[in-house]
Amino acid sequence: MKVSLHWLRRFVDFELTATELAEKLTMRGFESEVVSDFDSLENLVVGDVLTAEKHPNADKLKLCSVSDGSETFSVVCGAPNVDAGQKIVFAKVGAVLPGDFKIGKAKIRGIESFGMICSERELGISDEHDGIMVLDESHKAGTPIKKVLGPLFNAIDIEVTPDKAFALSHRGIAREVATIVGSKLKTPINSVKLNPKSKDVVSVKLDKKGGCTRYIAGTMKGVRVGPSPKWLAEYLKSVGQKSINNLVDISNFMLLEIGHPTHVFDLKKLAKPAVKVSWAKKGEKFDALDEETYELSTDHMVITDTKNTVALAGIIGGMDSSVTDSTTEVLIESAYFDPVVIRKGSKKLNLLSEASRRFERGTDPNAALEAFNMIVQLMQEVAGGTLESVITDECSMSLDSTSVDLSYEKLLKYAGQEIPLKDIESILKGLHIDAKKTKTGWSCSIPTYRTDLKVETDLIEEVFRCFGYDNIKSSFNYSSIMQYANDEESSISSLKHHLSSLGFHQSYNNSLEDFEEVKLFGKDAVSVMNPSSERMNTLRTTLHSGLLKNLDFNYRNGSANTLIYEHGNIFEGKTDKLEDIEQKSSLSCLVHGNVFAKNVHFDSIPASFSFLKGVALNIFEDKRLGLKVNFLQKKHHYCDPYFSIIDGKKQEIGGLGVINQSLLNKLDIAHKNEVVVLDVDTEIFKNYGSYSTKVEDIVTFPIVQRDLNFKMDSNIQVGDVVKAIKSVNQSILISVIPVDIYHSKKDKLSKDVLFSLNFQSSKKTLEDNDVNSIITDVIHLISKKYNAKLRDN
Amino acid sequence: MSLDKTIKGLKASFSKELSKSKTSQDLENFRIKYLGRNGQLALLFEEFNKLPTLEKPRFGKELNILKNQLTDQYQNALGNNSENSATSDVDFSLPGYDLPDGNIHPLEQITSEIKSIFQSIGFSVAYGPEIDDDYHNFEALNVPKYHPARDMQDTFFINPNAVLRTHTSNVQIHLMENQDPPLRHICCGRVFRNEAVSYKSFCLFNQVEGLVINETSSFAEMKGTLEYFVQEMFGKDTKMRFRPSYFPFTEPSAEVDIWNSKLNQWMEILGCGMVNPNVLSNVGYDNEKYQGFAFGMGIERIAMIKYGIKDIRLFYQNDKRFLEQF
Repeated sequence: MKVSLHWLRRFVDFELTATELAEKLTMRGFESEVVSDFDSLENLVVGDVLTAEKHPNADKLKLCSVSDGSETFSVVCGAPNVDAGQKIVFAKVGAVLPGDFKIGKAKIRGIESFGMICSERELGISDEHDGIMVLDESHKAGTPIKKVLGPLFNAIDIEVTPDKAFALSHRGIAREVATIVGSKLKTPINSVKLNPKSKDVVSVKLDKKGGCTRYIAGTMKGVRVGPSPKWLAEYLKSVGQKSINNLVDISNFMLLEIGHPTHVFDLKKLAKPAVKVSWAKKGEKFDALDEETYELSTDHMVITDTKNTVALAGIIGGMDSSVTDSTTEVLIESAYFDPVVIRKGSKKLNLLSEASRRFERGTDPNAALEAFNMIVQLMQEVAGGTLESVITDECSMSLDSTSVDLSYEKLLKYAGQEIPLKDIESILKGLHIDAKKTKTGWSCSIPTYRTDLKVETDLIEEVFRCFGYDNIKSSFNYSSIMQYANDEESSISSLKHHLSSLGFHQSYNNSLEDFEEVKLFGKDAVSVMNPSSERMNTLRTTLHSGLLKNLDFNYRNGSANTLIYEHGNIFEGKTDKLEDIEQKSSLSCLVHGNVFAKNVHFDSIPASFSFLKGVALNIFEDKRLGLKVNFLQKKHHYCDPYFSIIDGKKQEIGGLGVINQSLLNKLDIAHKNEVVVLDVDTEIFKNYGSYSTKVEDIVTFPIVQRDLNFKMDSNIQVGDVVKAIKSVNQSILISVIPVDIYHSKKDKLSKDVLFSLNFQSSKKTLEDNDVNSIITDVIHLISKKYNAKLRDN
Repeated sequence: MSLDKTIKGLKASFSKELSKSKTSQDLENFRIKYLGRNGQLALLFEEFNKLPTLEKPRFGKELNILKNQLTDQYQNALGNNSENSATSDVDFSLPGYDLPDGNIHPLEQITSEIKSIFQSIGFSVAYGPEIDDDYHNFEALNVPKYHPARDMQDTFFINPNAVLRTHTSNVQIHLMENQDPPLRHICCGRVFRNEAVSYKSFCLFNQVEGLVINETSSFAEMKGTLEYFVQEMFGKDTKMRFRPSYFPFTEPSAEVDIWNSKLNQWMEILGCGMVNPNVLSNVGYDNEKYQGFAFGMGIERIAMIKYGIKDIRLFYQNDKRFLEQF
């Protein structure tokens, strides 16, 4: 909310600059930024445009000579409205405009320009940027701009938090300023009840179901629509609002003055001078002031003239009953609407107005009458009308202040330190909270505009806020420290470090993806009801989708070699019911290209299936897990082949597969080699730290190594042969490793495989005889089982 | 033992003479002197044979080792002398192997750093669901339906009653529902906001939130805890301030800014406050007896400040050229 210092001074006298005020309010819980602080702007003066001619090299630019009263400068200006004889805002070289916009010497289309003629937007006054700001002729060239524009246009922007409804006006902010500087709040307009000319009565009927608990109405006649007086237009201008006409301006002014929304109907356009507050019919169409047609539902509270809907209560007025240039008679509404009703109605239509913003946060029911009285006075003064009807005030709510108890002990316990009684009392007094001493603290009478103060902690917050958070000294009691529990993810974290040291990059991908793409991964996906874009409407069902995107992105940016992984949640659900949705922590790796590129030392080492299989073994057969894993081929939706990784208890703890071509093509993933993925069930790592390693005795007897070279059918799986060889002896045959495979060019149907067998006993040094008998058994078995032939080494 | 000494002496003179033997003739003479049939080594073995049986195993082992060592040294020297030697071809100026260089994602690094700072002062870490019901994400946290505070967090809905959590505070509710005070926890994970994607906002971000509940934890203690955190995270000299703010789940609430001396401005890094008594009663805690504080921060924001990153989307693009810098 833009707040003008000029306007604040209607209510309170203070000496602060815009920058100082913004700082003070920020530290009070009203986060403020300076919009324009002319006091801080240097090198900004009233300039006199002596000449303004066409720029020799550009049709749309003008070359002006500008005097600052003592010197004349040549300035290039792009504004269409610049003309000789104008008094303008001249930013000289060295000036810094709002938004840290530094003015320097510049060459524009070949001509040097010394400074700039400013528009209102450049000065932070309004959004006006179609032309430069033209000043009143009476100003003398060379006068510092802070003297000319400062008094009117110094302004700050306050981000008012949703609880502080009371602060959505100049009076509300001025109350806070008054407590900061310690001065009294002024009353620029008195809320005086005026006497009507006639005995006419506007009939007002409220709905029994609630929603509107106070409605004040009255009519005025003899109103003349016309331009606003200068003072009124200037206040609106000081917050960047344009003056429209006196009637509209008054309503806008009242909103920003005391924060209570009012509405003005053209009386002649109402069926009769009567108001009925009720609920909209389902599907009812309503033409609003903003020239849009809204379809209402039974949740919407509406104002009718007993025949037609003339306003959407608390949100926006109707087109047909709005005031125009020919309006002479008006009906003025000032009401209190229930915050939830307004919030619901405005959300449903996605229609937020200045009025709804205030009603949904909770307005002051007493301000309804104030606003009514003030608006009538202003109308009389500015538009010449008179109050015609008796003021109708239908009210079914309490207008009394509420009472909240504050315990001194509780306040101190919350603070963790001493705060003197007298400080608390003076803070409460400054906030116009009437605090009566009780045994334990105070009984506080809360002004009705402080709709945010309902319970004790609300008051504690007020005291702390005004006492100053800086004045509460920090303390940190180390003796209260508890032993922290084990972080269940710390072992996954060491897995991540392990992967990274193997050369993997860790990815963080978006959890939200395109449904059409998620579908390709073949699981029941969970979608978002209100996505921000179709490309992010569904939750990922696998981490593969993101990793593939990372491969594609990096490939297209010149890096084909990819070793990546991600750890994150994936989602599946047969329906969108919470209990049907499975949210699972997951970790997947993806590799493509080479682990090592070809270099002077050796040929490239591909990031292949076998590489990732090695990584899998490295991870799963980590000593701390104490697992032995097996790879079991199974069907997969988009991997061919795919192997489940099975632990000793036959549980699936991971998977390893090659993404098929069809998926890569459908997703248009750039690649040149096989794309291999590894899935790791993170659950098994959760107890990682508690596995204890038991040290075995080191066997000191020598290892005996023998090689066996078999010729066998080329379709025989070497892994099966290894298993078969191992099965021959479990005590001293400690390892079987295929070390070479040779495919003859002539004989494509067979291959030679060289196995290296290691023997070792924990009891003695092995003799040839111990080994030979096993070798004989191996040769016998393999020859028979695989129809393999032993070849000479 | 004299034999010990002899072995030592032999080793020394062997190395010394070997280094002086340059030509192949030198080397051959050397071989005969030490390793030949009647060389010094052979003499030692003769002496060994004369030893008492009891000492034989020990010296047997040592002599065998010595023999292997000397033979290896001689062979090496011989190799060096030969023109066909492999080592003479080694170009030591060649680059070393280009070992793959992995990384931990910057957001993970920051999260770990924050975790360990809080763990060092006794905080445990908790996790919870990313999709949760409206109750745990909002209502239990004192944000009723149709409350304007809902606008502070634009929400993705899965169904009218389930949301992608907008903060990790839902974990705090689950925690308190399952555990009695005292509590001293941080929760971390992904949270989602239905905001337009730009250089400064993304549809999701990572959060770390903290919760301390016991009978005495005060505003002053909250300040002390967070000052400790800021100093550990950003350096001992970091200037910081607490300023009043509003969150429905805490009261009094504050935002913490740290001073950025490069940009010459305050930068908001976290929100905090005393846990609202309504939140405590919602989880069945006695809010007269217990009190405490909560705080929360965005990891991306802290990473951006710490590493000077200007575009939040970089964290989720996984460009190797970006990741490799961490």
